[in-house]
Amino acid sequence: MGDTASSKMHEKSLYIKHLSRPRYGLTDFSRLNNHRMKYSNPEIPEGINTSTQHPLKEFALLVGGVLGAVLAVVMVLTLLADRLAVYIPFEVEMRLASRVTEGLPVEEVKSLPIEAYLNRLADKIVAEQKLPPGMQITVHYVDDDLVNAFATLGGHLFMFRGLLEKLPHENAVAMVLAHEIAHIKHRHPIRSMGRGMIFGLAIGMVSSTLGNAMTDRVLANTGGLTVLKFSRDQEWEADQTALHALYQLYGHVDGADRLFKVLEQATENGSLQTPEFFSTHPLSKRRIDNIHAFQVGHPATADATVVALPEQFSTWLIPAAGGQAEGMP
Amino acid sequence: MIDLIIFLALLALGYGFGRYAELKHYRSIIQREKELRDIPAVATKFPPLTKAVDVALVSGSVVISVDYFKRFVAGLRNLIGGRVTAYESLLDRARREAILRMKEEARAFGGHIIFNIKLETSSIHKGRKNGVGAVEVMAYGTVLIKPRKIS
Repeated sequence: MGDTASSKMHEKSLYIKHLSRPRYGLTDFSRLNNHRMKYSNPEIPEGINTSTQHPLKEFALLVGGVLGAVLAVVMVLTLLADRLAVYIPFEVEMRLASRVTEGLPVEEVKSLPIEAYLNRLADKIVAEQKLPPGMQITVHYVDDDLVNAFATLGGHLFMFRGLLEKLPHENAVAMVLAHEIAHIKHRHPIRSMGRGMIFGLAIGMVSSTLGNAMTDRVLANTGGLTVLKFSRDQEWEADQTALHALYQLYGHVDGADRLFKVLEQATENGSLQTPEFFSTHPLSKRRIDNIHAFQVGHPATADATVVALPEQFSTWLIPAAGGQAEGMP
Repeated sequence: MIDLIIFLALLALGYGFGRYAELKHYRSIIQREKELRDIPAVATKFPPLTKAVDVALVSGSVVISVDYFKRFVAGLRNLIGGRVTAYESLLDRARREAILRMKEEARAFGGHIIFNIKLETSSIHKGRKNGVGAVEVMAYGTVLIKPRKIS
């Protein structure tokens, strides 16, 4: 600061002024200097340069205020994403899906007899559910013990051996397919993805502002829990649509509850790890009650007999060619 | 979940130790300010010119680290702006400690009064993403030492 020539000059002139003319400003400092000027460092009053507020109070206000506001904004954005995702054309979703399903065995679709059968059944349900044109359903068979089935982006359904083994007749299989197809019909996968993306984005922004590695990890973990899962409302919606489709296809919904009984058993036994997918579903008991309520409102128009599975169904479940569709995560 | 527990534990640890250190430091600062009050340190550049005195450069410097709790609170404060009180007390302590160390040096020299004191501040360690890690404050000035014969 004081290294430039001009400021040196300034210092010098002040010094001279100080020596020659005692008066500058209102106070005669030089006279005080020459006589009995008192220099002192009195006690510093606390709480001027610092805050007397308790740090925990500030912490509580900040955490409450900032995180509350961030949460509110994220909730509004997620809601918007959920509502607007419906307007994404299905073709775009299919292009997205080609990236998401990259690691999954998509190539051998319909080459296995079980997949051909499931796809034929799915086509019938698609016709009943009146899917918009261009919305394509592809069923994949997964040779795995997991009692599971799920629908994902681009109209891809995944049916696991563990679940199919436990289903006694075609109506129950049709219920699973109809439920998953209904998810696709209502665009649930892309809506969940929209929610997940907004959440991830918001988390990224907040944590980068905080600049804290640990906060980053905590938030990312909490965010991950919400990604690509269907809400309970969405499950109810899919159940309702599925039951209507079944009613139109078979004239009754007998046997549809069989699926949830199987799920309930699998959960109760504990012999099978409950897939995370099902843990967000409404309780199987309540869904069975829902089916029975539907039956009351929709009396059977045809013989309430269930359609048997094809004879070779159980052999289809074990792909003859070794190595096919194996090693699923 | 385990991350959340680790995070909360770190916050509690940062708060506990940080608060304890700060309160202890303030007690020490106030005590030592009392003891060293007889060596005034003033910012004026113009000492009285009446007597012949010896002069010497004295300095005091201190480095204080930010604790986890303060850093988190300051991070939240970054979002909405306002007084970063978490860092205010940190810098206040550093400033006063630096001046005290300078005075201690002056006392070792047998000095009586420090003129033209200046303070420099720098963050000596930038944490991840340029977060403040530790702060250094240095105080320096010119101490006037009265020759023994005259005084």
